Amino acid sequence: MAIKSRRYEEAKLEASTNLELYWWVFMRVSGVVLVFLLIGHMWMNAILVDLNSIDYDYVAKRLSQTTWKVYDWLILALALLHGGNGLRYVLDDWVRDPMKRFWTKVVVYSLLAFLFFLGSLSLFNHDFGVN
Amino acid sequence: MYRGSEGQWAFYLHRISGIGILVFLVLHVLNIASAMWGPEVSNAFMKFYHQPVFQVGLLFLIAGVLYHGFNGLRIILMDFTSWGVRYQRQLWYGVWVLFVVFYLPFLIKIGGGILGGGHGD
Repeated sequence: MAIKSRRYEEAKLEASTNLELYWWVFMRVSGVVLVFLLIGHMWMNAILVDLNSIDYDYVAKRLSQTTWKVYDWLILALALLHGGNGLRYVLDDWVRDPMKRFWTKVVVYSLLAFLFFLGSLSLFNHDFGVN
Repeated sequence: MYRGSEGQWAFYLHRISGIGILVFLVLHVLNIASAMWGPEVSNAFMKFYHQPVFQVGLLFLIAGVLYHGFNGLRIILMDFTSWGVRYQRQLWYGVWVLFVVFYLPFLIKIGGGILGGGHGD
C-alpha cells in the first residue's frame, strides 16, 4: 500500500515493504531534481526561444550536443518513474476492483515502458544529421 | 491528515496537475520521437502543435508543472522538518507567491504570442 505518512520516521514505520519506502524516498528526491530540470527546460524553450520557431532543425541542433541528450534523457527517465509511481498511488486509491486495477496497471506500465524505449531511442539512437 | 481546507485543495490540485503533466508527457515524447521518421513528418507534427489552441494548453501545462513542483517542495518540507506540518497553510500561500513570480514571464511571452497572432502561418 502507498504510504500516507508525512514524516520520514512515520513513513518508515508505515511502509509495508522496504520497496514501498524506497519509492516514498524516490518521489522526494526525483521531485527536487525535476523541479530544477523542468524549470530550465521550459525557460529555455518558451522564454529564451520563440515557441513557434521550434522545428526539426532546432531540435536537431540542440540534440547534437551530448549535454542536452543527457539532460533530456534525465527528465524522461525521472518523469516516467515519478509520474508512473504517482499514477500507481492514484490507481490504488481510485480503482477499487482488484481485477480492473490489475489490468489498468498492465496497460499503464506497458505504455510507460514503450515511451521510455521510444524516447531513449530518439535521443540516443537517432542521427539528426546536423552539420 | 489535514485540518485546513487549504491542505485538501493542495492535495487535489497536486493530483490533477500530476495526471495532466503525465498526459502531456505522452504527447510530447511521441511528438519528439516523430523526428525518427524524418524532418517532413516531424515538422508536420510541430506545425500542428503550433496552433493557438495548443498554446493555451501549454499555458495550462506550465501552470501545472510550476504548481506541482513548488507544492512538491512544500510536501518535502512537511516531511523532513519539525515545523513543516505546523505551517503547511502558510507554506501553501508561499507556493502561490513562487508560482506567480515564475508564471508571469511565461504568461507574458506565450500569452502575448497567442494574442499577437505570432503563430506562424
